[in-house]
Amino acid sequence: MIKKVYLIGNPNVGKSAVFSRLTGVHVMSSNYPGTTVEISRGLLTVGEQRVDVVDLPGTYSLEPTSRAEEVAVSLLNEHPQNEIAVVNILDATNLERNLFLTLQLLEKGFSVIVCLNMCDDAVHRGVHIDTRKLEDILQVPVVATCAIAGTGIKDLVARIVETAARPRVSLNFQDRWAEIGRIVENVQRLEHRHHTLREMLEDASVKPLTGLVMAGAVIYASFKVVRFIGEGIITYITDPFFINIYQPLLEKMTSGWQPGSFLFHLLIGDLIDGGIDFKQSLGVLTTAPYIEFGMVLPYVIAFYLILSLLEDVGYLPRLAILLDNLLHRLGLHGYAVIPVLLGFGCNVPGILSTRVLESKRERFIAATLISIGVPCVPLQAMIFGLLGVFGGFYVAGVYLVLFSLIIILGLILNRLMPGYSPEFLLEIPPYRFPPLWMLAQKLYFRIKGFIVEAVPVVLIGVFIINILLFVQAFDLAAGIFAPIVHGLFGLPQESIIALVIGFFRKDVAVGLLMPLDLSAKQLFIASTLLAISFPCVATFIVLWKELGVKDVIKATLLMIGVSLIVGTLLNFVILS
Amino acid sequence: MGKISLVQMKGNQKGKIHDIVGGETLHQKLAHIGVYKGREILKVNHVGLRGPVVIKVGRGILALGHTIATKILVDVE
Repeated sequence: MIKKVYLIGNPNVGKSAVFSRLTGVHVMSSNYPGTTVEISRGLLTVGEQRVDVVDLPGTYSLEPTSRAEEVAVSLLNEHPQNEIAVVNILDATNLERNLFLTLQLLEKGFSVIVCLNMCDDAVHRGVHIDTRKLEDILQVPVVATCAIAGTGIKDLVARIVETAARPRVSLNFQDRWAEIGRIVENVQRLEHRHHTLREMLEDASVKPLTGLVMAGAVIYASFKVVRFIGEGIITYITDPFFINIYQPLLEKMTSGWQPGSFLFHLLIGDLIDGGIDFKQSLGVLTTAPYIEFGMVLPYVIAFYLILSLLEDVGYLPRLAILLDNLLHRLGLHGYAVIPVLLGFGCNVPGILSTRVLESKRERFIAATLISIGVPCVPLQAMIFGLLGVFGGFYVAGVYLVLFSLIIILGLILNRLMPGYSPEFLLEIPPYRFPPLWMLAQKLYFRIKGFIVEAVPVVLIGVFIINILLFVQAFDLAAGIFAPIVHGLFGLPQESIIALVIGFFRKDVAVGLLMPLDLSAKQLFIASTLLAISFPCVATFIVLWKELGVKDVIKATLLMIGVSLIVGTLLNFVILS
Repeated sequence: MGKISLVQMKGNQKGKIHDIVGGETLHQKLAHIGVYKGREILKVNHVGLRGPVVIKVGRGILALGHTIATKILVDVE
């Protein structure tokens, strides 16, 4: 009787796609190894009964050499072998490498079903596999699937009950590879294909010269496209909505209210020149939704569209090898590119994904650098919206300061922290073009995640700020911190509120700067400080969980120190 | 036939792995992804002076950090 079904396979074979096809549960899959750090679980009907399905992290073998592999192997041994079925997912385009794990599973006596995934891609590349023959050799069911299109999945489910243990003799790795060589020879036929454009691009992207040119082009284009889409949504959709529909509605609804009363102050805020100004009124119903939906959300959509595309195409591992050299000097290795890029969307997933890095030292360096030097999309959107008015030069300046900080801090941390950076060993996946629906689905889930997490915090945040402003609770704090904020950073006392609020939400914090009428220089300093000083509370909690108390205190002291130095330097030296 | 390290190989050069100079863990790690004594490989290229080495093993492409690459000795023609 099968009680549990496990999905196991090498990284990047489309395991997550098979999982969501089997269970209907959505999981993110990306075209680079290590996405499945969290274990996904779902339900599947096998025969008459519902059984648990567990999606294990990608692993190359049953002798774990990384944390993700350890997790996979220990979960696999949780239940008696006769109660579980193991669906081993293989990338049909690379049968040889994938069979290593398959043979190990059989040798250990698991009941295996082999799922040859990505069959359509294999055919494209001229790889033909005789599944019947493979079934004869392995003595277990072999099913060809294409999880993205959904083909073969029904067959796979139907055959799960058929499986039984077919133990093979245990081999050492040398003999196992020899055996695999014989199997592949037997079942695989390669059709000679000329290099396609896709393969030429694959090669070009890992060569230093063409690779760097491509990387530069990709990053530049991504940046431009994100701005183009973000601004497009603002100009043609959100701004017209807020100004032509929402504002008249709001004004009508509140026409009888007394401006200046508590409720008015709370919900609408201050009237600017006798009317609502979404950027300056600061009410729960005015500025709060405008910041989230009218200024930040358009860029969140644009950013995740481009990031999801780059992920699924398989470009990111290529970027990782190009930047390995530079990142080594910062105490990291090429793979740290992925946490950093995710951090540009939101620091929380960025820091969570530092788990793919092997050593504690690397994780500390990566997490600290992300929380100091990588601004999230909401913050960037607001910086664009506010500082952009003074010219792109200032916006570029903020990025330059942050980039220099990452480099300087990385160099210092690499020198000071004991330990070493492990070497990098990475499989480069082929380029794959995701179907539009998968991209759309991924985008939908990411945006939904953003809305669910950000919007309540923003509304409640503005609500609380307004109450505190009404009772003038910030005056005390402003008085205490005035010497630093005003004396060192050259900012008006009122901006202390924004800096404090930065701990809750960066976008609201920049929003609080809007009514202050700051000069370009002051706005530059405030934006930079918001990026490098404290991370927002969500990031802080994740940092705590990932690094532990001691390292979080270290990281926090570093942030405070760096903020004081950078703020002062910007004010008195660089921008003076 | 000469014996050189993966780093010293030229781009687009074929070779057969002669030895891997390293501990059990490194051997194991490499073996799991198909890099082991006697395996034929093709070096694709080298990224920068001390950057990773990209190789083709079977139908897969792997990037190995510079230090690992120096530990892999290859017989070349």
